[in-house]
Amino acid sequence: MRILLAEDDAETAEFIARGLGELGHNVVRADDGIEALHLLSTEEFDIAVLDRMLPTLDGLSVVHRIRAAEIDLPVLLLTALGRIEDRVSGLEAGADDYLVKPFAFSELAARINALARRKPFQAAPTKLESGGVVMDLLKRQVTRDGTVISLQPREFRILEELMREDGKVVTRTMLLERIWNYHFDPQTNIVETHISRLRSKLNEGGKPDLIETLRGVGYRVANHA
Amino acid sequence: MRRWRASAAYRIAFVNFVAFALGLAILGAIVFAAMHVAFTRQLDGQVRDEAQTLADEYRTDGGAELQDSISQREAIRSPDRMLYAVFDQNGRRLYGSLNTSRPELGLHDISFRDPQEGRDSARGLAVDLSPTERLVVAADRDWIERIDRTVEVVFGLAFVAACIAGFAGAGVLGNYLRRRLQSISLAAEAIIGGNVRQRMPVSGRRDEFDELAMTLNRMLERIEGLLENLRQVSSDVAHDLRTPLARLRTRLEQGALDRPKGTAATTLIEDSLTQVDEVLSLFAAILRIAEVESGETRRYFAPVDVSELVTELAESYAPAIADEGRRLLWSIELGLTIEGDRELLAQAAANLIENAQFHTPADTLIRVTGTRVGECVCIQVTDNGSGVPESELGRITRRFARLDSSRQKRGYGLGLNLASAVAKLHGGRLLLKNAKPGFVAIIELPRLQASGERRPDRSSEG
Repeated sequence: MRILLAEDDAETAEFIARGLGELGHNVVRADDGIEALHLLSTEEFDIAVLDRMLPTLDGLSVVHRIRAAEIDLPVLLLTALGRIEDRVSGLEAGADDYLVKPFAFSELAARINALARRKPFQAAPTKLESGGVVMDLLKRQVTRDGTVISLQPREFRILEELMREDGKVVTRTMLLERIWNYHFDPQTNIVETHISRLRSKLNEGGKPDLIETLRGVGYRVANHA
Repeated sequence: MRRWRASAAYRIAFVNFVAFALGLAILGAIVFAAMHVAFTRQLDGQVRDEAQTLADEYRTDGGAELQDSISQREAIRSPDRMLYAVFDQNGRRLYGSLNTSRPELGLHDISFRDPQEGRDSARGLAVDLSPTERLVVAADRDWIERIDRTVEVVFGLAFVAACIAGFAGAGVLGNYLRRRLQSISLAAEAIIGGNVRQRMPVSGRRDEFDELAMTLNRMLERIEGLLENLRQVSSDVAHDLRTPLARLRTRLEQGALDRPKGTAATTLIEDSLTQVDEVLSLFAAILRIAEVESGETRRYFAPVDVSELVTELAESYAPAIADEGRRLLWSIELGLTIEGDRELLAQAAANLIENAQFHTPADTLIRVTGTRVGECVCIQVTDNGSGVPESELGRITRRFARLDSSRQKRGYGLGLNLASAVAKLHGGRLLLKNAKPGFVAIIELPRLQASGERRPDRSSEG
């Protein structure tokens, strides 16, 4: 993937660029807002990662302007500000996701992957399948090797998120945001507990584990092919 | 009515009114007395002139002529006619119709018998015409008394009318003063309620109230500026510390990525990462509380289904709490809706649940209820644990307040502080008490907030 990274802190930019490069992405760096805007309007990118506070033109204005110019690539805003107001204004300006600094690199990588797959004109699937587990999104029914598994609504949604990402990592924070719409960090392991209940329901009868835990990173659907 | 007596505005207005009425009464009395004296003097003058005329007549023409003259005068039936009598030295009336006893020399009030009206009083002047004859000329006081009566009635009516007008005026004035003061008091209440941008109303009149309001407004500006500085400083400290910490975290993460997993060095780096993350989440919590306390987020308020929010929270927490050896039960009324910030309310309620979870012994039963109490929505979290010492109850909502017994446990003592800040943001409050046994935390949220606390949207800043 070709990624535009606009981050004025050289050390952070270097770290992100290196990490994304190792994951096989092609990273183009911009040091200020004007440069980012210029690159975005003249070249093709799959995704843009913009710091909110940039010299010459702040990240929020860059998003405003590219959206006004009908450039609809996915945008991830990075910010040192964790205020509710900042998140709301970032998303209102047209950013697709919002990550508060500092973040674990794995979190950024997972979100970039998730954003890249959010293609505009993709038809929503009605059926998801992986490792013998079939999710019928219309009937709201889950089966594994033909056996119906009854899931509680939140467990169903978690499984749906994981299956949609199709083997890519979904972080704990992403689940908190997407399933619960919480942008705070509960001290209680509500995500872990839900995953463990979901896992035991799915794996009943000694079947291979469908959900893989990547410690300190997140979860993904295991590939048993 | 207690309210009237307790009101300084009405008291001032009514004391003013009483002073006015008293002044009016004194003025009336003085005018009355002055008039009375003036009329009496006039009467005395007439009596004296008449006596002089008759005495002159006697001296020039003699007693017979005087008797004639008196009967002539007495024959005129005019209302202001005078009365005459001439006495000998034994007090016998020689002629004249004034039916009285022989008075002393000089000017007196005398009483006489009027053939029609009976006993009556008059101003009389006695002069000696000769050693044996004493002339008395008297004028009836009737007309002065009539004037006195009329003045009394007119003045009485005017006084009553002035009192009614004054009383009504005092009422109006009192009400006006009370209203002006009340508008200042309401504005102050709104400020106490958290709307620090509220200012005292200033009318266009530029009167003392406006001067007071403007002075108070200048004071509020100053206080707000200082508070803003303070908030800015603490946010800046937290924020400025985040940047180097973020950089530190990046380096540690990079270090961990570069090394093989499982070595002692990698474990050390991973532990350091966890600790940096803890400090960062502490800063995030401080900044979040500062944001909530500033009231900025009020502009994102929208209708929130508290029933749904608390149910979801309880359902989400129940498994994790069960895994830790406690039980969570909930009963939540349907249709509890308020204007608010869904996420902050969720975080506040989550903090109460976590508080009950982390500070109670195993096997504790935690109950979450959502109820409507009057005009409020209450989110209540009760546990049957050991409660909190009464002396500590007031302290535990303070920032970084932790009970000695919980020092070893996780958390920084910010949970209840945030819950309290969120409750206040919504115009409500956080109530904490011992349930004996156990502990109750209640977030009380008014369903309708005072309109004064809402403020117009400002454009978002970048």
